[in-house]
Amino acid sequence: MALTRHQPRTILVTGGTGALGRDLVRRFASAGDASVVVLTRGVSTSAPSVTLPGVSRLTGDLRAGSTLGISPGDHAALRGSVTDIVHCAADTVFNRPLPDARATNVEGTRALLAFAEECPNLERVACFSTVYVAGRSTGCFGEGDIGGQDGFVNSYEQSKAEMEAVVRDAMARLPITLYRLSTIIGDSRSGAVSGFNAVHHALRLLYQGLAPMVPGQESALVDLIPVDFAAAASHHLFEHAFSAGATYHLCAGQASSASLGALLDATTAAFERHRPAWRKRSIARPALVDLDTYELFVRTVEEARNEVLLQATRAVQAFAYQLAYPKIFDARHASAVLAPAGIEPPHVLYYYDAVVRWCIATNWGVAA
Amino acid sequence: MTDVGIDALTYWLPASSPTLEELEQRGAVRGAAALASFGFRQARVAEADSHVDMAMHAVRALLDETGTPPDEIDLVLYAGALTSSSTMETAVCPAGSVLHMREFMDFFKYPVSRLQSEFDLTSASVAGIDQQGCAAIFSAIRFARATLLAEPDVRTVLCVSADRLPHDASREVVYNLVSDGACAMLLRRSRRNRIVATHQVTKGAFWDSGSLENEIIAAYFPTARTVIETTLRKAGVALDDIAWVIPHNVSLRSWEILLGLIGCPREKLFSANIGRVGHTIAADNFINLRDAADAGLLRKGDLLLLFTFGYGLNWSCMVVEH
Repeated sequence: MALTRHQPRTILVTGGTGALGRDLVRRFASAGDASVVVLTRGVSTSAPSVTLPGVSRLTGDLRAGSTLGISPGDHAALRGSVTDIVHCAADTVFNRPLPDARATNVEGTRALLAFAEECPNLERVACFSTVYVAGRSTGCFGEGDIGGQDGFVNSYEQSKAEMEAVVRDAMARLPITLYRLSTIIGDSRSGAVSGFNAVHHALRLLYQGLAPMVPGQESALVDLIPVDFAAAASHHLFEHAFSAGATYHLCAGQASSASLGALLDATTAAFERHRPAWRKRSIARPALVDLDTYELFVRTVEEARNEVLLQATRAVQAFAYQLAYPKIFDARHASAVLAPAGIEPPHVLYYYDAVVRWCIATNWGVAA
Repeated sequence: MTDVGIDALTYWLPASSPTLEELEQRGAVRGAAALASFGFRQARVAEADSHVDMAMHAVRALLDETGTPPDEIDLVLYAGALTSSSTMETAVCPAGSVLHMREFMDFFKYPVSRLQSEFDLTSASVAGIDQQGCAAIFSAIRFARATLLAEPDVRTVLCVSADRLPHDASREVVYNLVSDGACAMLLRRSRRNRIVATHQVTKGAFWDSGSLENEIIAAYFPTARTVIETTLRKAGVALDDIAWVIPHNVSLRSWEILLGLIGCPREKLFSANIGRVGHTIAADNFINLRDAADAGLLRKGDLLLLFTFGYGLNWSCMVVEH
């Protein structure tokens, strides 16, 4: 749907220095038809996305409320000029204390939408969420479904589900669309990882031989997407097929996902391929176990007060508990729009090896 | 193929059995509460007996109980986990550490030769098996079986295992409570406790155990499952066919986790000795096999799964038909 414009576009992007945000900023900027304002908290100001032509940076903080933590003058100017808001900012740490996760993901979104209601020229808003608002539910989770009925695996999921409730409430007053992302693991072309998350942390523990077991079933599908797909898909939906009130799943789906067993095999194969010395360490593929067994192991590590294994199990726990609740994400609405445009998620095994290689080569972003 | 079985079996444990609290007072354990929650209650501590003394106690009981004439024994395999277990103790080294031996020739005072001499096993050749941690006795049985199958003139093999921690050593090792003890058994071409299959995996990458404790704990579970599954496959049986799991006496908690990994009901684990005996380095599975049999829990034809783990690292498993 093409919008008729009466004034220059100004796109406010939150989280514009993050893995997805910087790709989106680059796409908006390269189109050349809009000013892009990246709201940052003052970190990563040298990120490429905020140094592009047509992109300006505004230091603020969504947790400051509807002032966005910016000066009154900037606030007034932004309020008058903004036509589009793309809300990528989020606290994506899976096991953050819930109040902290809520502060950014729920209250930060509430503040941004309150700001949006003050913008007279606003035409559209995109809010990014996660398909894992499905929480502990199993089976098929659709774009029209609201998750969480069976509880959540971590504070990230819960805070994003609560964020969605805020967004849905605001949909009555604002032109908002919701994009639920799957877990982003890297770039499908280069394997580059611009934001290491819980999946990469779990990979690192596997590499170090500190992950004896993972809760889940061999055949359970793991939904992962590359950042370039997430950016291309959301950019296309926002720019060429905006639909207020709609929710889209940007995920791999059944066709482009691999089973947990296949991913573990691909992981060890990649370790051996890209670090032949790793094979000599005789590190076993983690055992796939039921949740009761995994929790018994976690409890044992806690009672033993083994700090290294405790940190390792908690890191795996934050991500891998979701694997114990197998589910498939239905993305038919998104696919109906994206497939004709040639935007489809590549199969995870097509680029997974490159991502693992990147992790090894960069030592997971940690200086050696 | 001719059947080989564990035809007779005895063990010896020291009388001294201090509780966790007593061991904590002595400074022999630090985390008594955690050990208790993992299923341990007391350890067996050899106050005066050396590992060779314990081995002799076990062999004497075995020969007396079975009435086996000494000259019937064709081969003696002596298994020990600790490096000190493969040498004799000297007057200056009551704890048995080879590092403190006074004379060069002390290194060649072998326990297995002493056993042969002590019990007049004049027909027997002897060998020591070590460097496999707590899995050494499994290897002794494996090699005994192979010898019985390969050499017709070998009819009876005596397998012995004994280990005792030095007096000042901690008895808390990687969340387990370590005891002293010994076992002895006779292997013959027999269907009694027939050895159906054995399997061992060694991961030498973990040879420096002290610096890789967390990695070893992490490696233990997935590899244990693989070894058990491989042994079952070699035996041509399914886990459902196993009547009892006869464990090494590491923590009950770790067994509960491993049983969860392999999908085995908790009821199949013979766990009575974990609390009251602790983890004897040398002999757990065979102390448990004997006690389970004496308790009338095992029926003829029952399939038993024996699993152990030793530093080195070694995972060993066997399926035995009672």
